[in-house]
Amino acid sequence: MDNNSAQRLPGPQAGAVKFTMLLAGVVLLLMMIFGFVMRAAQGNLIDLDPAMFYQLLTAHGAGMVGTAGLTGAAILWYFMGRYVPLARGVFWAFLGLFLLGVVLILGAIFIGGYAGAWTFLFPLPANSGGVWGTDAAAAFLLGYVAIGVAFLLLYLEVGRKLIARYGGIGGALAWPLVMGKGTVEDAPPPAVVAAMATTIFNTIGTVVGAAVLASSLVNLYFPEFKVDALLAKNMIYFFGHVFINASIYMAVIAVYEIIPEYTGTPWKTTRIFAVAWSLVLLFVMAVYPHHLLQDTVMPAWSLAMGQIVSYLSGIPLLAVTAFSLIVYLRKANAMRWDLASALLVLGVAGWSVGSVPAIIDGMISVNKVMHNTQWVPGHFHTYLILGEVAMSFGFMMWLIGKPEHKAAGGFNWAAFSAYVLGGTGFTLMFLVSGALSVPRRWAVHAPEWVLQSQIATGFALLVILGAAMFVLRYLLGLKNSSGR
Amino acid sequence: MPIQSGVLLISLVLMAVIAGLFISAVRASRKPDTGAPREAVRTRFIYALLAVGVIVTAVSLRPWPHAISAANGPSATVNVTGAMWYWEIDRETVPLGVPVIFNARTTDVTHGFGVMDSQDRLLFQTQAMPGYVNQVEHVFRQPGVYRVVCMEYCGVAHHAMTNEFTVAAAN
Repeated sequence: MDNNSAQRLPGPQAGAVKFTMLLAGVVLLLMMIFGFVMRAAQGNLIDLDPAMFYQLLTAHGAGMVGTAGLTGAAILWYFMGRYVPLARGVFWAFLGLFLLGVVLILGAIFIGGYAGAWTFLFPLPANSGGVWGTDAAAAFLLGYVAIGVAFLLLYLEVGRKLIARYGGIGGALAWPLVMGKGTVEDAPPPAVVAAMATTIFNTIGTVVGAAVLASSLVNLYFPEFKVDALLAKNMIYFFGHVFINASIYMAVIAVYEIIPEYTGTPWKTTRIFAVAWSLVLLFVMAVYPHHLLQDTVMPAWSLAMGQIVSYLSGIPLLAVTAFSLIVYLRKANAMRWDLASALLVLGVAGWSVGSVPAIIDGMISVNKVMHNTQWVPGHFHTYLILGEVAMSFGFMMWLIGKPEHKAAGGFNWAAFSAYVLGGTGFTLMFLVSGALSVPRRWAVHAPEWVLQSQIATGFALLVILGAAMFVLRYLLGLKNSSGR
Repeated sequence: MPIQSGVLLISLVLMAVIAGLFISAVRASRKPDTGAPREAVRTRFIYALLAVGVIVTAVSLRPWPHAISAANGPSATVNVTGAMWYWEIDRETVPLGVPVIFNARTTDVTHGFGVMDSQDRLLFQTQAMPGYVNQVEHVFRQPGVYRVVCMEYCGVAHHAMTNEFTVAAAN
């Protein structure tokens, strides 16, 4: 059967997905405001108690990573609904569990005072120095568990349907094509290959996360149950790295599915595409030691692997996804540009650009002077603000589907410009500060670092303005009957 | 030039090149026949990336960045211990011009042992993790006061967890 051109199934859960994206848009805005407040505090523009700063830091980190995951999952679910019949109840269970997790996390932070950062690095949740209690830490960790279960449920449904439809994991990953046995016409669509790979690695990542969460929870109430700090750290960064990367890899499905509507050229699963995704599946899981490059007790081979795989991970992104998008754009005769297409292309561009400082920081010798400086939020904010989040906003604009055959209107152009300019300036200030050795996650900054924070605060305001305009545009567009 | 400035410069150039390629493709998307790169270009690009990767890997990992070479000659050892929220350092003065090995420990949560020079430029760091001793070696080339900071988030006074030591020529 020609899988690339297979009849698409009707009725993906558009309503549920639209509702989810609305929630996500509002939460993204709120989290951006938290970020703005933190940068303003670092710039001495406002007075903020360090305890509150670190609570906001924790909420911002967990909230942004969670929302990136949520938007990625909604995109994955929406487009997989085109190819396989998905059980509707699973998505509602996913969303319900996710929201339960959000309530637990917010309660832990803003009622219980938990401020152990989104990475819950063992044994910080259990050892707050008297700032938060055991129950607050437990509520935070249980919130993660609820969100983890939500994702496992979703992946179980997507995974089993894809395996049944495409004749196994290998079929859904287009392995016959990789082996030189299949044809492009017989291969599953790019969205399916991406969904299958993400389902596999994020299921593994979430299970590892669940194991370290469970250990940390037991340790909270039974301190005699010892957890090895290095093992816990490995597991946390494996989970954290895989989860946030899965968010981007799920969101890029929107690019594969939507951009062809604009360029007129279908995005096909070619052999190089299939090989790239199989490598991504491997690299995403093997690269995590690049978060532990300053743990010199780690085996040297694992740190070398972290550096090498970090570099290799850039190749499928730059040479396959980014390269193909550039080819499709150049091949287009009269590409139609609107807010959706502009944000989706921005998403791939920002992701690609952000990979550069990330890969360079993945070198042990560079990491020695850049690790945990503001260089790190510099690179991940690039591929989140201008990458994953841009793709998610692009998907939202496409969902409301107001036909815009001409160039984007004044409102859209203003929103897009504010977002891109704000995002670029904001991330650049982080990178410059990182190069000036400003540590990340410091509530109070030295006087000589204040100026960058103040400039960054201004750019943050622009990002928020652009994002607020996107959300407003989406909200108004939801009433539009021409939506999808 | 400090390594950080070089890293920033290289990053910004490469980031600008990638951004430029996208901007150029966006402009070309409205016009017909602008000449898309062929598959052969992609293949060459992949080989080029691999070749650069091999060279960068070989150059950057040899010698091993975490190597402790001090055992072969004169050296000094400094024990630093992180705790919420202070650093204990077992000597106030550290010798100039010889390899100094820092043993980083913690009594509670994970901290990040980072050393900054008088210009607040980070020179090196390592993690201080419960149950482990991470070692890092550095040769100080300038005498003066060096600041110890925490480079791993460790709770409400993380930013205030600082100390200092002096580097001076050994008598």
